[in-house]
Amino acid sequence: MNFEPKILGFLCNWCSYAGADLAGVSRMQYPPNIRILRVMCSGRVDPEFFFEGFLKGIDGIILTGCHLGDCHYLEGNYEAMMKFDLVKRLLSLINFENRVRLEWVSASEGKRFAEIVTDFTNHIKEQGPSPTRTDNPDPVLVEKLKALKNAAGDQRLRALVGRERKITEQGNVYGEVISKEKFDELLNLAIKDEFERHWILLMLQKEPKSVKGIAKELKIDSSEVLKHIVSLRNQNLVALERIEGLSPIYVRIGEN
Amino acid sequence: MKMEGEEVRIGIFVCHCGSNIGGVMDCKALVKYASTLPDVVYTEDNLYTCSEVGLNQIKDAIKEHNLNRVIVASCTPRTHESLFRDTIQEVGLNPYLFEMANIRDQCSWVHMKDKEKATEKAKDLLRMAVGKAKMLEPLEKIKVGVTPAAAVIGGGIAGITAATNLLHQGFNVFLLEKTNQLGGIINRLYKLYPSNELGTEFIQKKIEYIQNHPNIEVLTNATIKSVYGFVGEYDLEVEVNNSTKKLRAGTIIIATGAQVLDAQYVQEFKGENVINQADLELQLKNKTFDAKNVVMVQCAGARIDERPYCSNICCMTALKNALLIKEQSPDSHVTILYRDVQTLGTKYEETYQKARESRILFVKYSPEKNPIVENDHVKVYSELSGGKEISIPRDLIVLSTPLVANPDSKELAQFFKVPLEENQFFLEAHVKLRPVDFATDGVYVCGCTKWPADIPETISQAYAASSRASTVLSHETFEVEGSTAKILDKSKCVGCEICIKICPFGAIIKNEEDEVDIIQVLCHGCGTCGATCPHKAITVSHFTTEQIISQIHSFGGD
Amino acid sequence: MNEKNKAALVIGAGIAGIQASLDLGDMGIQVHLVEQRPCIGGRMAQLDKTFPTNDCSICILAPKLSDCARHPNITLHTLSEVVGLEGIPGNFEVTILQHPRYVDLDKCINCGDCVENCPVSVDDEFNVGLKKRSAIYLDYLQGIPAKVTIDDSVCLHFIQGICGICKKVCDKEAIDYEQKEEIFNLNVGAVIVATGYDPFDPTPLQNFGYGSASNVITALELERIICASGPTDGHLIRPSDGRTVKKIAFIQCVGSRDKNYNKYCSSICCMYTTKEAMVAYEHDNELETKIFYIDMRAGGKHFRKYLKRGEEEYNITYVKGSVGEIREDEDQNLIVIYEVSNTGEVKSERFDMVVLATSIIPKQDADKVAKSLGIERDKYNFIKTLPHAPMITTREGVYACGCCHEPMDIPNSVVEASSAAALAAEVIRSSK
Repeated sequence: MNFEPKILGFLCNWCSYAGADLAGVSRMQYPPNIRILRVMCSGRVDPEFFFEGFLKGIDGIILTGCHLGDCHYLEGNYEAMMKFDLVKRLLSLINFENRVRLEWVSASEGKRFAEIVTDFTNHIKEQGPSPTRTDNPDPVLVEKLKALKNAAGDQRLRALVGRERKITEQGNVYGEVISKEKFDELLNLAIKDEFERHWILLMLQKEPKSVKGIAKELKIDSSEVLKHIVSLRNQNLVALERIEGLSPIYVRIGEN
Repeated sequence: MKMEGEEVRIGIFVCHCGSNIGGVMDCKALVKYASTLPDVVYTEDNLYTCSEVGLNQIKDAIKEHNLNRVIVASCTPRTHESLFRDTIQEVGLNPYLFEMANIRDQCSWVHMKDKEKATEKAKDLLRMAVGKAKMLEPLEKIKVGVTPAAAVIGGGIAGITAATNLLHQGFNVFLLEKTNQLGGIINRLYKLYPSNELGTEFIQKKIEYIQNHPNIEVLTNATIKSVYGFVGEYDLEVEVNNSTKKLRAGTIIIATGAQVLDAQYVQEFKGENVINQADLELQLKNKTFDAKNVVMVQCAGARIDERPYCSNICCMTALKNALLIKEQSPDSHVTILYRDVQTLGTKYEETYQKARESRILFVKYSPEKNPIVENDHVKVYSELSGGKEISIPRDLIVLSTPLVANPDSKELAQFFKVPLEENQFFLEAHVKLRPVDFATDGVYVCGCTKWPADIPETISQAYAASSRASTVLSHETFEVEGSTAKILDKSKCVGCEICIKICPFGAIIKNEEDEVDIIQVLCHGCGTCGATCPHKAITVSHFTTEQIISQIHSFGGD
Repeated sequence: MNEKNKAALVIGAGIAGIQASLDLGDMGIQVHLVEQRPCIGGRMAQLDKTFPTNDCSICILAPKLSDCARHPNITLHTLSEVVGLEGIPGNFEVTILQHPRYVDLDKCINCGDCVENCPVSVDDEFNVGLKKRSAIYLDYLQGIPAKVTIDDSVCLHFIQGICGICKKVCDKEAIDYEQKEEIFNLNVGAVIVATGYDPFDPTPLQNFGYGSASNVITALELERIICASGPTDGHLIRPSDGRTVKKIAFIQCVGSRDKNYNKYCSSICCMYTTKEAMVAYEHDNELETKIFYIDMRAGGKHFRKYLKRGEEEYNITYVKGSVGEIREDEDQNLIVIYEVSNTGEVKSERFDMVVLATSIIPKQDADKVAKSLGIERDKYNFIKTLPHAPMITTREGVYACGCCHEPMDIPNSVVEASSAAALAAEVIRSSK
């Protein structure tokens, strides 16, 4: 059967959306798979939105904004770029990073918009349907996506990315400018941590588990899990429920 | 987020846009589908929803069916949202309770050959619009005070004209000029077309007039250091003769002009005694002109890969100067090598005919075989002479070089957050219908800043810019959009100040109670703070996280 | 600015008059906008697309029409003309003649019942005669006010005293045959003339065959043919046999830069022809077009880029040459005989259709308008304006903008409209 991908496009109002309109005015034809969601600025696009989309079975998501330097709000597209980078890193943990794209399209680039949409649609066709786009998607994958969504919505990664340009361009509170490479290293570590922690939280939400039980499902070392549990207990997100034999069983507490 | 105690009642209007939409997709099927969507209580299709008939149908339906959300599926919100918002407001509905589905520009027009899929796409877009509409909240516009003064940047004919008109209308004006004198390019011109008035006399009268006006402050040697604020209240820091001056204006007019490309930068036509039209005017003015055989080359440095545009004014400049030369020394020979003669309208075309009758020789050349400049003659390839080269004697070559953008235009554009086009001229909001406006309210442009323009055109544009500025300055307040950032939940804010740092407009501050606060009139509603806040304590009205997620879910098939 | 200002009078509700009115209205000045036709919109409403953005003309105009109609400071006077102007700048007394619509503006809902039942069929001016309309009619689809009008010069009730069907079928009782001409005066501070232009009728140029060869049409006719809401629903077909058009010749400067007709350049034809060729190509990607021109006049913003796009992406060939004659063959195809300017060579080529870029000429009643306003005209009958102040006419307090004083494109008309508004505001605000 012919695969018709479901594609979502976040377009900024001033450049990209106008470019998409221009494609229409110029009658440039492109595949009818994309559904455009207008935001005022590409910087408005919250990293969480991508995961919301993939959880709903969308096959590909494209974000377009004004060219760097042309942002109607000055630097919103730089912020969009930082957030998109986070999204891509998070998605790479489940091999979804090829299902997203970031492009700059100006109000005069109707043709370019049509070409980008055509290319992205063909690209997603090659990728095949999203594994979440079935009636019974792999429950582990869904849990992972949810964990990623929660990680993207949680303060640690958001604060890090929110400060990224400041830290890498102007320096941190101690006046140290951290190189982009060093920052990425920190970010990758944080991403791994946050992903695992949010996955643990989801797991414990369903049923209390031991460190070993968690480690088995997560396919990581028990010592790593223990580190996460300690941290989550400190944040009052996890508590000891009971001890089974020699294994403490943990439970999710508080709001998610 | 429903309004308290009120059920959501959505009305959907599907526009055929003549055959623009109706000719591609099945509008009836779309309407039928729309009626099955949750919270939708009324649907209809119109031939043109934006016609007075269509607008009245919306108003009637709101009253009759007690609608509290309206969706129009038609063209683009960029052109039509305000019209529909105003319409629903006329019958008492908050204008922000409106949503558009773009089923024309982004659907029927781009999927003309796939009617079925275009219709399916339109259905999805409608479903997404419903997803958003049901979450919409009423908002109020924010009013700001207007300082009844304009800052006019550039003291050439454009700036002087705009300033004079605003003074006559009763406003205060700051006129900022980068150099030490007003008048701009006209100071260097000889006689003006078609009045034959001397450029300096023409401009000096105007300069004297404004300099003696009580409501203007003329600042020469002025450089802008910083710009802060927005329509109604722009604060400019200007450096004038090594001291800093602060001024406040309600609107800005950019009239900085352009530069004539120097002959030395034209690689194609190099040689002894090669000057440009501006140099020629100086020679004529200073009475140092003494050539007998003059060859003018049009499009010198223009309409080439590096500068693909036609500079618009050079043909008339050449004709004017050629005629002046013939008038002054009738036995001189003037040849104009041209590609296309740009003499639009009645008077210019007349001048062209007059030039032809005045024994000025016109020879067409093609850029594939450019004329070759030699010491005492020019070689021109002419197909008309059977593909032979003709040799034209010369002692002076006058290149009609184009106007090019000022080197500091980019810096100036960034001060006011307005765009430039690829040749670094300022790019207006819409080349057809908003020729002197920018997307940014309260900033206007006129004259050669925007595109090469002759004096009458520049004067027209200057008056136009002052007219547009007056539409703002004539009122005590200016209304801004209600869709701004807001603190969603004070208790969630931990005071990390990330939002304060990323807001480019300085709209987020820490208030006296040391709490994060938003100055709404400064907020432009981009929503980046909302997407960034680590604790999700901020959102932007009309594009809230819930609204956008609802749209995403609607597409995904929630 | 709370003081009571004098009102302004704007004559002509095309894009120029509309822009001037909107600017003045937005400044808080009362505006009387007088339009001869039953609806506002003017020439721009007749166009399919506009260069160089290829924006759909009515799409970008429609919001302005509505803004005008709904503006609290603008009063529309349709079917009206100015017949006299007395007084001085800041204090003019203007006399307006309003023709009867025979339809009650408050009652008519434009349901179309009367139009459907009207037995009369005459040429529709809006569609330049390519379509028929009834005696009671709506000026055009998106026209504002969206109310019908009775044309009493063709209505059977008025010419023969019979019929009366429209009155019978109108549920809203909106038809009023008793309406009479009305003359009234207004006190205004300044006047803006924005009466626009007429297209030149190329029939006298017999060598081009317009009027005798049915596939030789004018640019405005093509504009309606390619318009989705036009007489052929946007199908690019030949008037003679309805056949799809594959090859079009566009002839520039028809009636312009011509000693026998209009010596001047009509300013906009090079660009609109390119636009029409582009839009036609969008209708059919196999279409081949040739544009025969003298000088390609494209100095406006991004115009050269536009021509390049036309050449590269829309299969347009520009031929610098002058057309001597157009002959019709037995299949009603057209043989264009032309001289190539660069070489002097004479060539001929067959086309399915020929489109004439006819000049912009002063409106038929330009003489009457100028007389009633007491302003002078130039030697071409356009309104005379000062050289370095293009909006200033020979009468103080009266300003002109747009094509009524010189041929120009839409952006320039809009610029001049705002410009005229600025000058009118000067007069009004300095003479309280």
